[in-house]
Amino acid sequence: MRRLLKLTHPIHLVSGLTIWGIWFVAIYAGLSVACSVAPPEPESDMFTGINLGVGVATLVTTALLLWLTWASVVAARRAEVRRECYFAYTSAGVFLFSAGGTLFVGYPIVFLPPCL
Amino acid sequence: MSDIKDATLTPEVRRLHKGMDEVWGNPTGLRALTVVNHTTVGLRFMVTGAIFFLIGGLLAMLIRTQLAFPDNDFMSHEIYNQVFTMHGTVMMFLFAIPILEGLAIYMIPKMIGARDLVCPRLTAFGYYCYLFGGIILASSLILEIAPASGWFMYTPLSSGEYSPGPGSDFWLLGITFVEISALSAGVELVVSILRTRTQGMALHKMPLFAWYILAMALMIVVGFPPLILGSILLELERAAGMPFFEVAGGGDPVLWAHLFWLFGHPEVYIIFLPGAGIVSTLIPVFAGRPIVGYGWVVAAIIIMGFVSFGLWVHHMFTLGIPQLALAFFSAASMLVAIPTGIQIFVWLSTLWLGRPRMTLPMLWIVGFLIIFVLGGLTGVMLALVPFNWQVHDTHFVVAHMHYVLVGGMLFPLMAGLYYWLPQVSGRMPSERLGKWSFWLIFLGFNVTFLVMHWTGLLGMRRRVFTYDTAMGWDIYNLISSVGGFMMSAGVALLILDIVLHFRFGKKAPQNPWGADTLEWAMPKPPTAYNFVSLPAVETRHPLWEKPELSRTIYEGEHGLNTIDHGRRETWGSDALTGKLRETVHLPSNSWWPLFSSLALAAVCVSLLVRVYWVAAVAVVVGVVLLLRWSWENGAHPGKAPEASMAPTEPPLHYHTMNGPGVWCMSVSHLANGSLYLSLLFGWFYLWVVAPEWQMPETSPLSMPLLVAAGAALTLGTLLLAKVVRRLRRREGSGLGLMMHLAGGLGTLQTLLIVAVMWLAGLAPTETAHDATLFVALCYVLILAGLGAVLCILQGLRVGYGYVSVEAPLEPVVVLRLWYYSLVVYWSLFVAIWVLPTVLGGGA
Repeated sequence: MRRLLKLTHPIHLVSGLTIWGIWFVAIYAGLSVACSVAPPEPESDMFTGINLGVGVATLVTTALLLWLTWASVVAARRAEVRRECYFAYTSAGVFLFSAGGTLFVGYPIVFLPPCL
Repeated sequence: MSDIKDATLTPEVRRLHKGMDEVWGNPTGLRALTVVNHTTVGLRFMVTGAIFFLIGGLLAMLIRTQLAFPDNDFMSHEIYNQVFTMHGTVMMFLFAIPILEGLAIYMIPKMIGARDLVCPRLTAFGYYCYLFGGIILASSLILEIAPASGWFMYTPLSSGEYSPGPGSDFWLLGITFVEISALSAGVELVVSILRTRTQGMALHKMPLFAWYILAMALMIVVGFPPLILGSILLELERAAGMPFFEVAGGGDPVLWAHLFWLFGHPEVYIIFLPGAGIVSTLIPVFAGRPIVGYGWVVAAIIIMGFVSFGLWVHHMFTLGIPQLALAFFSAASMLVAIPTGIQIFVWLSTLWLGRPRMTLPMLWIVGFLIIFVLGGLTGVMLALVPFNWQVHDTHFVVAHMHYVLVGGMLFPLMAGLYYWLPQVSGRMPSERLGKWSFWLIFLGFNVTFLVMHWTGLLGMRRRVFTYDTAMGWDIYNLISSVGGFMMSAGVALLILDIVLHFRFGKKAPQNPWGADTLEWAMPKPPTAYNFVSLPAVETRHPLWEKPELSRTIYEGEHGLNTIDHGRRETWGSDALTGKLRETVHLPSNSWWPLFSSLALAAVCVSLLVRVYWVAAVAVVVGVVLLLRWSWENGAHPGKAPEASMAPTEPPLHYHTMNGPGVWCMSVSHLANGSLYLSLLFGWFYLWVVAPEWQMPETSPLSMPLLVAAGAALTLGTLLLAKVVRRLRRREGSGLGLMMHLAGGLGTLQTLLIVAVMWLAGLAPTETAHDATLFVALCYVLILAGLGAVLCILQGLRVGYGYVSVEAPLEPVVVLRLWYYSLVVYWSLFVAIWVLPTVLGGGA
């Protein structure tokens, strides 16, 4: 199990996108449930608790993925086996994409109301 | 001296070849139906897929004939609805996916240096499910009762009220049957790629094509179950009146759209990825250099595989979803341009830095690049919500879809066909006929579909069977129809070229294109066992770095080069490093796959004609056949005539505790888990969104009985885990008794779930709430029953000596099923009992 946590393990080729996927499902499902259970006033525009919640989740997830990108690059540089170096660098690329993807997909909360 | 014809065959090597032919050879006559070999079954998949392509193409020509002129009465609107529905259905489900699976089934073992896929009988079973499902579905056309609600079968149009005939049933049952085939192939392709690569072929050294197929297969495993669930629910609604998609009964038709597109959008990438895999294989060969950025391509494949599951709502932009949610999916849709762009720039860079040869396969690759990039650009346009609203359900979308699918799949497939044809037949195709065929198809395609963008922008809706001349669409439709027939002429020429090449094609040299991958290291046409000896491969370009491999493999210089034992064998290797772990003993030809699939076909047909007692009998027969098939496994003497191994060889897989069977079970649970999560999604979706959803004040399910059933399951799982721990310590005393005890606990759980269902007094035909509960309980009931039966069979197998300390694999496989059941059962308990009780009926 400890082996899986090392960023040189190929499981991290998919762990960044898995985090992205969980975040994506969480914000979409959370938005749908929140709009169904407690929709904010339309006049609030984008200044709502829902936008705030999605925004915080987006920033936290992006920060986590950026940190994992940096940690993967460090792990790749330290790797002694070429295979491990390869997987860590490729994972770093996927983490970076996931971070960018999170920010890009979450960005519309800045200018759109949640439930209209 | 790198050619097979230069090989020196000593009498001993000749004996080895003869022995291999005897053990691996295909029978003829009626017994040809028992063949399980991947080369033969892969070709059967591809030939069947090609026939369905011609049927789908014929339907396309009927559509274009009807639309060629305004106010045309070539077809009635009823027939037209059937024709366009079946065109999409045949092309997507009976051509595109099966033919690509066939290519993967045929090619993957050859590329990774294996002799067959890991579950050959499953390959044959998948083929028969595909064949029978396809025939059942296609027969509806001949009977003029084909489905007519469009290839995505939106409810309520496809529901009983608006489609009362059997058309929708043909679609739902036929497609589900065909999807069994896709899932079978998906599971075994994943496990074969991860666990049967030849010695030394580490994960980061395997051919890029294998990465693409690995991603495709995993996407099939995860992506198909939502549609299978949706099809089951819709068929239950149509046949039994359970109102999952009916607003008045507490259901919601939009749930179908979600379930369909949860499958449907990844499906596009499931089709594209193997096409891109062909491109990534061919371009380095014809550029004469390794691909630029292997790691970038791997990252792009993985990103594409994941992100494609986050786009499904972009097919539903006009369904009234809040704008912020639309923006999420719009942004995610644009994101997918990044991995696509990475691949395109990798291909262009490889061509730029290499010395490209403009051969016939490359012509198709160039055609692919042009058409696919154009389709990608209109894809980014459609990802923008306001533009999407404007052109939704117009011919613009039809044109875009054909640009990405024909460009992204058909053109690479044709490139691959011409590239690998010499490998299959040993002969070269005709350059002249091939070029004529390419240009007719390329020009015909663009004449048809480029113009169709304008037709769509002028407002022509898809699926209208005719139009008034005043709309101004006449000339565009006529041009599209002319282009369609031009394309058909190209396809006819292509078929002629392929047929003629078997007779008149020049003999192909050993490696006609100067390729780097192992499939070119075998005799042409290939032998049933691929390689007489299995080489160690530690490079991405084995034939470029060791061109003598063809000869040395043929001379039997490498591994697994004995056949006296009479077993079909291939290596089992470490998923990551490629180090050898075991010798996988593969099953030989068998009737079980054919008989089992015939039983399932009988279930399908009897459900179609609604003779339910026949369906029930066929289900029982099918289950018995499948279990009987599973009985001939592991150390069964019918499968393992002689189990001794040379001391230098790795052990036979069923003498270990981590053989490919464990991996197959785990990957199957990805599919199973996807089905379960789709069911949970349906439950919560209806609960939150459906306007007439009725949640009772108190749950109708008995909590004590549910907990007792869960306790039996938990105890059984703990007991099985203990059995496996003891086997690991090589302690075999009381093994049979403990397996029977676990089987008893499984039986108890099954009975308790039946009691829960009996006492609940559900009315599944009246409310979607009760119908969903009913389906969920049936699901855990099937899991419980299966767990119990497998444990009891294991107990019997211990008695026969097929399972023991020496052959400990099977209990490990069964334990995986119990672990899965445990997680599903308790999470379902929380979802259907705890949460409704805690939140109350008003929630």
